Amino acid sequence: MPDPLLKVEGLTRRFDVSKPWLNRVIERDGKQFLTANADVSFEIARGETFALVGESGSGKSTIAKMVVGLLQPSAGKITFDGQRIDAGAGIPRSLRRRFQMIFQDPFASLNPRWRVGDIICEPILTFGLMNQAEARAEAARLLEVVGLSATDVTKYPHEFSGGQRQRIAIARALSSKPEFIVCDEPTSALDVSVQAQILNLMRDLQDEFGLTYLLISHDLSVVRHMATRIGVLYLGRLVEVAEGKRLFSEPQHPYTRMLLDAVPDLALSGRRRRRVDGEIPNPISPPPGCAFHPRCPLAFDRCRVDIPQPRTTPIGRAACHALEAAERA
Amino acid sequence: MTDAVTEPLLSVRDLVVEFPTRRGVLRALDRVSFDIMPGEVLGMVGESGAGKSITGASIIGLIEPPGRIAGGEIRLKGERIDNLRPEAMRRVRGRRIGMVFQDPLTSLNPLYTVAQQLIETIRTHMDVSEAEARKRAVALLDRVGIPAAARRIDDYPHHFSGGMRQRVVIALALCAEPELVIADEPTTALDVSVQAQIIEVLKDICAERGAAVMLITHDMGVIAETADRVAVLYAGRMAETGPVREVITEALHPYTAGLMGSIPTLTQETDRLVQIPGSMPRLDAIPPGCAFNPRCEHAFAPCREIRPDLMPQGGGREVACWLYDPAKAGELRDA
Repeated sequence: MPDPLLKVEGLTRRFDVSKPWLNRVIERDGKQFLTANADVSFEIARGETFALVGESGSGKSTIAKMVVGLLQPSAGKITFDGQRIDAGAGIPRSLRRRFQMIFQDPFASLNPRWRVGDIICEPILTFGLMNQAEARAEAARLLEVVGLSATDVTKYPHEFSGGQRQRIAIARALSSKPEFIVCDEPTSALDVSVQAQILNLMRDLQDEFGLTYLLISHDLSVVRHMATRIGVLYLGRLVEVAEGKRLFSEPQHPYTRMLLDAVPDLALSGRRRRRVDGEIPNPISPPPGCAFHPRCPLAFDRCRVDIPQPRTTPIGRAACHALEAAERA
Repeated sequence: MTDAVTEPLLSVRDLVVEFPTRRGVLRALDRVSFDIMPGEVLGMVGESGAGKSITGASIIGLIEPPGRIAGGEIRLKGERIDNLRPEAMRRVRGRRIGMVFQDPLTSLNPLYTVAQQLIETIRTHMDVSEAEARKRAVALLDRVGIPAAARRIDDYPHHFSGGMRQRVVIALALCAEPELVIADEPTTALDVSVQAQIIEVLKDICAERGAAVMLITHDMGVIAETADRVAVLYAGRMAETGPVREVITEALHPYTAGLMGSIPTLTQETDRLVQIPGSMPRLDAIPPGCAFNPRCEHAFAPCREIRPDLMPQGGGREVACWLYDPAKAGELRDA
């Protein structure tokens, strides 16, 4: 991809989940690590929406946090517009301004003691983009951009419903004029009719300001609606990356296929959901080889030993030995 | 499904549930009526605050005080259960009506093994020996798909994963062979791949035992796959009921139509989702007339003044909307 806005290479994050030192000594236990992400690589082009999907525990949110610098990667590189941003404290403010985040729970992400105007002004003032008076006017303008009223600046978050709060969170994210917004489950806490409003708003803003999104979601239909390209995560690894709509029409990886089969069908095509056996294994002791092999209908000997590497498929990339074998045959 | 001869298993008529607060009485449910036939799966949908869970809670007599049933009646096989004394209600709850709640971790007691909880429940409701109860419990766990049930029955709830725990809860709800199971968001806390398994178990096992199911959820996909009929709630009132296929594909009520259009699907080609402006009114600010009128693009004068009740539309469908009887709306308005 020529000149991607965000490039993630070999991103890995391990968490130390060991018992306290004394317990380890007494029980003769070693340290334990949970690998939340292993060797994740993807690129996001300017103006596109890249979505990461996966079930709980697949490491979606850990990636989001590493990308915006809330967590340090254990290994790997994150490059934003050609500059490394995984180096922690060393990220220049001018670069920080250019990416923002929208969180899942609008009841937790807005400070209940701050007025809405102050919440929206904070990034502007922190980055020193405007003076106090200009920032106030900007906050009022942004509230109108996201479909609220300019007079709402003096209200507190508790005076708003969930959907309206998420609009405030979006206004705050927009206030530093970012190019790139990481949206971590932006509509999961909302009702469907409100979800539709927020998704439509996100699209309108993307067109208006030329935004690039990294969208994290567990909801496949939301992802299908929003994304230009999609990455599917399983147990911390990226199993497939593909163009948006084609992932749904021609899924390659067996896990992607399973996930699509499991989605309840509103279209009432009469399709019986295929029974999927098993659940996501414990990430502290993932199965050897391909992490999906215990649930995979196509698994063979090699899957139990070797971790598959991503290979090019007609619609993108997928990491699967069975696909490789089928290709050779 | 609707047979004129059969008597409904559960019949709810004009149910009103109120919560007195310092700032006046809030009506969480306002004249809600519906029936569930024996063996039927009724889906109850609506957005948060629409009154889905309160409906379930009032049927099993578990409304938290100071909330109370302020009007209407609930009949189980013709017998009123909304005014039973707590003792009598306890014999209905669990025995004749089973419950599955959203969060399997809070509906199981963490201090008792699964065996203890199942055996206690079975012996509370049925006159069987401990050994017999245990045998039934193992068979039930096996039926809901817990591998090595005979061994795992002595595990504590925390030994099970979320999906397995929800299976245990289903077993618990079914162990006294109830006639009706109320499942309140049974899969909301689970991942999609596990969700499919749980819905299948719930549906199959209830069909097998002839138990009717009231499935409360905000997930239309789950309803579409599971329910025979669906009831749509809005601001504590019924908006529409009918066979699931018809309601989803050709909704009558403008709210239902908007709700269906706002859900992204895996096959749609449209670029924009239908969006209903605004949000559901708070219980202390429900507009006069139809509760949906300020958000409705088809609203006309009577909608702002007179509240529509459910009106039969044929084919087992009912809708509470003046668009389907403008003449009557006009009459009422003039009167």
